[in-house]
Amino acid sequence: MLKVDPGFKATLSTVESAGELSYCYQCSSCVAECPAAQRFPEFNPREIVLASLLGVAEYLTAEGSVIWQCATCYNCYERCPQGTHPVEVITALKNIAFDSGNAPENVSSLREAVMEHGTVIAPSDTIRKRRDELGLPELPDAPAEDMKKIMGRGGG
Amino acid sequence: MSGDYTLFPGCMIPLRYPQIETAARKCLPAVGIGLEEYPGFTCCPEPWTVKGTGLEEWLAVAMRNLAVGENSGRDLLVLCNGCYSTLREASHILSVNPEAAKAAEKKLSGLKVSYKGKVEVRHVASVLAGIGPEKIAKSVKRPLEGLKVAVHHGCHLLRPSSVMEFDDPFEPSILEDLVAALGAEAVRYEGYTDCCGRALNDVNAGLAMAEEKVRAMEEAGADCLALVCPACFEQFDLGQVEMKRHLKKEHHLPAFHYCQLLALAQGEDPDALGLSRHKIKVKPLHRKLGL
Ligand code: SF4
Ligand code: SF4
Repeated sequence: MLKVDPGFKATLSTVESAGELSYCYQCSSCVAECPAAQRFPEFNPREIVLASLLGVAEYLTAEGSVIWQCATCYNCYERCPQGTHPVEVITALKNIAFDSGNAPENVSSLREAVMEHGTVIAPSDTIRKRRDELGLPELPDAPAEDMKKIMGRGGG
Repeated sequence: MSGDYTLFPGCMIPLRYPQIETAARKCLPAVGIGLEEYPGFTCCPEPWTVKGTGLEEWLAVAMRNLAVGENSGRDLLVLCNGCYSTLREASHILSVNPEAAKAAEKKLSGLKVSYKGKVEVRHVASVLAGIGPEKIAKSVKRPLEGLKVAVHHGCHLLRPSSVMEFDDPFEPSILEDLVAALGAEAVRYEGYTDCCGRALNDVNAGLAMAEEKVRAMEEAGADCLALVCPACFEQFDLGQVEMKRHLKKEHHLPAFHYCQLLALAQGEDPDALGLSRHKIKVKPLHRKLGL
């Protein structure tokens, strides 16, 4: 059974312009040059916008959702005549999926890495040595403690 | 356009592809660009996965980085399309979306951060474009005569064009002019502004996108490809190894960050530039590179 959530639209983050989705008039300009749509028949930015607008987007924020195949190429952003920015709607959906514990493991682990190291890649002795061989300055220190304050649950 | 910038290091270049940083530090001073260190930066944060986990904290971390950059007293220079995307978009959001700015500030309340919106984030490609092909050509000592280079811009350098402000989002040519300034020939190929596929969570589907591009580059007669992003670099360099393994498609098209090509054309030694670290060997090109 399709669950309709009339309040869903209001739960999308408005940090970017995902809130503009009501202007979508379903023209499909965003679909033609979408590389994810070309590879995944179930990925369609026009439908993703519509589902979010109508509040039938539960399948998009569920585990294993196709939204994680978005290439973030911003073709749809440039091509949309209505300023709807499907890629930003998709990012807002990803946020909801993550908050519900449904983000892919490799995605959440990069976020963890930022909290732990301040960078998505952990510094290692191997890289320090290689930098030295390449005549580079020492690795700059990335203040992970600040990341924990910003990103740690309960903070903010 | 020349002058001093604070280098925003990011993650992938200093921690995985430091040879790109070496190239940048060698080639940029020769065209009048000074790179200064400044302590305190973190991941930008990365704009397709970390951003997907929380836009507010993504904005807050970016705002903190912008504030650190502002403290340095110079504009920021990045060598990576991902850093460019995040920092430029964040600075745009902070100037047009007061509600989002307030939410980010709240997340930063435990830290001493003051951001006034005075710092500009520049991609090395855009700073070099400002310097212009003629001046860059003057720094060339060993022209890359006869080398055919396919340019891969990378999405986040070009789009959204209103925020990135680099070149036309679908028909760019500036990077090709910068390649031509080195004495090389930039070759156009089908789908030249297409995405490298790096951000797809299905790795093989993403690789297939990169493979299509490499094939088009080869069909256009390219000897190598030039790009300006470490994530695109990984997708094409390590990516060609993975294409062989996972897609059973074999290619040997060496990939270079534009700074590496510039440094080579300026006469730098490929070993000192750490080019032997590339998975797709650069050696077969040595003759064409005049080495
Ligand atoms: S999001 Fe934009 S381009 Fe896509 S269908 Fe709606 S109006 Fe058209
Ligand atoms: S950003 Fe995502 S939805 Fe938009 S065109 Fe690219 S792959 Fe498709």
